Amino acid sequence: MVLILVLVISACSNNNGGNKGKTEEVPSPPASEAPGTEKGEDAYLPLVAEPLKLTAWTLINGNFRGENNNEKPSFKKMQELTNIEIDWTMASAANPVESFNLLMAGGQLPDMVDYNAMLTEGPKYGQQGAFVDLTKYIDEYAPNFKKILDENPEVKRLITTAEGQIFHFPQLNLSEYLLVQMFPQVRQDWLEKLKLEEPKTTDDWYNMLKAFKENDPNGNGKADEIPFVSVNLQNMMKTFAPAFGTDWEFYVDNGKVKFGPNEPKYKDALQYLNKLYMEGLIDPNYLVDTEFKFLTEKVTTDRAGAWVGWSGSYMTSFTDLMKDHAGFKIAGTETPIGPDGTQRYGYHGWPVGSVGVAISAKSKNIIEAVKWLDFQYSEESIMLNNFGVEGVSYEMVDGYPKFMDVVFNNPAGLSSTESLLSFTIGGGSWATVTDERYQEQYDIENAKVAKNKVSKHINYDISMPPFALSTAQNEIVVPLLADIRTFRDEYANQFVMGKRTFDKYDQFVEQLKKMNIDKVIEVYQEAYDEYMTRS
Amino acid sequence: MRTRAVNTKGTKAPGHFSKGYRRTTFKEITKNRSLYIMLIPVILYFVLFQYKPMYGVIIAFKDFNPFVGVWDSKWVGFKHFEQFFQSYYFGRILRNTVLMSLYQLIFAFPAAIILALLLNEVKNQAFKRIVQSISYLPHFISLVVVSGMIIDFLQPDGIINRLIVAAGLMKEPINFLIMPEWFRTVFISSGIWQGIGWSSIIYLAALSGINPSLYEAAVVDGAGRWKQMLHITLPGLMPTIIILLIINIGSFMVVGFDKIILLYNPATYETADVIGSFVFRRGILEANYSFTAAVGLFNSMINFILLILVNQIAKKKAESSLW
Repeated sequence: MVLILVLVISACSNNNGGNKGKTEEVPSPPASEAPGTEKGEDAYLPLVAEPLKLTAWTLINGNFRGENNNEKPSFKKMQELTNIEIDWTMASAANPVESFNLLMAGGQLPDMVDYNAMLTEGPKYGQQGAFVDLTKYIDEYAPNFKKILDENPEVKRLITTAEGQIFHFPQLNLSEYLLVQMFPQVRQDWLEKLKLEEPKTTDDWYNMLKAFKENDPNGNGKADEIPFVSVNLQNMMKTFAPAFGTDWEFYVDNGKVKFGPNEPKYKDALQYLNKLYMEGLIDPNYLVDTEFKFLTEKVTTDRAGAWVGWSGSYMTSFTDLMKDHAGFKIAGTETPIGPDGTQRYGYHGWPVGSVGVAISAKSKNIIEAVKWLDFQYSEESIMLNNFGVEGVSYEMVDGYPKFMDVVFNNPAGLSSTESLLSFTIGGGSWATVTDERYQEQYDIENAKVAKNKVSKHINYDISMPPFALSTAQNEIVVPLLADIRTFRDEYANQFVMGKRTFDKYDQFVEQLKKMNIDKVIEVYQEAYDEYMTRS
Repeated sequence: MRTRAVNTKGTKAPGHFSKGYRRTTFKEITKNRSLYIMLIPVILYFVLFQYKPMYGVIIAFKDFNPFVGVWDSKWVGFKHFEQFFQSYYFGRILRNTVLMSLYQLIFAFPAAIILALLLNEVKNQAFKRIVQSISYLPHFISLVVVSGMIIDFLQPDGIINRLIVAAGLMKEPINFLIMPEWFRTVFISSGIWQGIGWSSIIYLAALSGINPSLYEAAVVDGAGRWKQMLHITLPGLMPTIIILLIINIGSFMVVGFDKIILLYNPATYETADVIGSFVFRRGILEANYSFTAAVGLFNSMINFILLILVNQIAKKKAESSLW
């Protein structure tokens, strides 16, 4: 409490300083001019001579218990080092898409915009003129970021548009361990109780779920187990469809772009899920209980047997929440193997995450914003963003940054995520390089095992890279896909729930054709081919 | 009580106003200046928040880009209207919107009148007041909470299903919320539950304005309670009913999409997706502002035409109208 008070007071006094600084600020020179003489090695920090205030928009992370990012010691420290203060607009993250779209529709942007789908939205709005093209600024004012781009051509390729522009500073996953996102998780103690092996094939999955349903693994004498809990169809399809040789939406088959629902294999995957659903092995309420809190409730009331989830916010949190429940244990499983032996992990991330920060084209402080964002990729800031301030939230033990007890056994009783976010922004959700050592400490042992298992089955020749489409391509694709996705959602769910029989599948594909899916695939193929030939 | 004779005022008011306007002079305004001053905020509100934004409707004929502004965005003519009319979902959302409104008009609109009539017959004042309070309380619950309650009650293991199963009406619980055939029933009936008490207040006010001597005369003529209701209460209520009907039809194509998006899911789109929810998905979630402006404009045009039509009919047939 005292700490927060102190932070608030100092933030206030800094506000005043910042304002004064701003009025005295000379307008920044245009980018074409010489960068100025203070760009010597010694003068790297502070980034600006006079205190400066930049504005930024971000979504409040639901696990952050404070009100403003400036309360985090990591950002306080950055302000001291850079002389730049950030005036945050903390928008509600209850409906992130709505919040962001309304910000953009207003047309008035702060200097920087942080968003969790900037990888696609950055280029889209950048090409409309909302965000500034960073390419020429990066060469002159972003030495840290430029170094990363030079060392990782894949990163550069993913954030560059077909026209060669870069519109945002992304979150980066530079190790394989970090590429694992959601993976299948099961109640290990239930498996042990029913003397079952960890499921490998889709048939194993069926048998395991059936055993969960029939053999009362929670031992309360009622058949109240929900063998497989999901909050939507997408998670299930992204997990099981690759086993049948297809995917939820776009994927690549020998260099040819395909749209899952268009393929006969998609029908196989839906038929498999339909079998599970009809036998009561999938949560009958998966279309109604679509929020994470419902899944949490089903897990913590000892009813859920398996689900698809992240390591930290699912495995670690659930284990925390159920620590009083004797034997509760979650295992991450292999990614399922299909009937013909196909095994592919499709739910992975890319070296460039979807989180990123873009700079408004109308900002008066573009150069300073570029410098400040570039600073996020300096060694010092990477530590601040991932671990917080040394001595406050982590200590160096034999060269390894170890989180202190205050983070993982928080005295105020905060969960590990909540407590971590009161010290730093979290390395995985910000324009910085995510440190594997940060994620590692955050994962329970079983999560580490699972991540190493599933990451072996990532296939970059099949997964569709998350590149950006050009404005012209978007103009064709967006309206068509809007109808197609609604149609797919409706039909796919009805197939799974047995509301539509599979002999109607041909009509479904027929209708997709009428809705011009071929045109969409053609545009994606064109964009994919261009992307693959990019240097 | 008698000064609040709603029925006579309702029918004669337009005539009075038009005569009044003819006499309006500068003198009039200065004499009643305090009234005119009080009117200013209302006029400002309408100009600023109702008329000025109408300028933005031109984005329906443009490819709106917020970063070049409304005026400088490219003109594209009727492109967005064509896209909407050719959309696979045009027929369905139009049908759903019309049906949902129609059911609302058939079931929800008379429900409040019936409740008002029933309450009017209740002799025990304490009982009447309790019923009234209980029936209009749900009006004050936020829609999000109401939707949460509906979802909870209608779960396969929710209270309604338990009652149905316990009463032996069904063997298996019904998963109402994923069945398109149930969506409209759920939507309309929960709407009646929430709105019936509140909507009946205006009718009760109108009822209290009916001259008691009419009832006394009817009793002398030997009319029972049923006849009294048919020949005195209902005719006395008619002007209010017609005005409210016109107002309701004026927003015929506006189905409360906020409740729809809280209750629907892909499995129920078939009967649940209306113009409002479609616009929400395309506009706010997919940032397709020009397209949704076009859809919204189309919707408003239909409402506007309906409003004028109904008003004309009411003027001719029932001698009671909005203007």
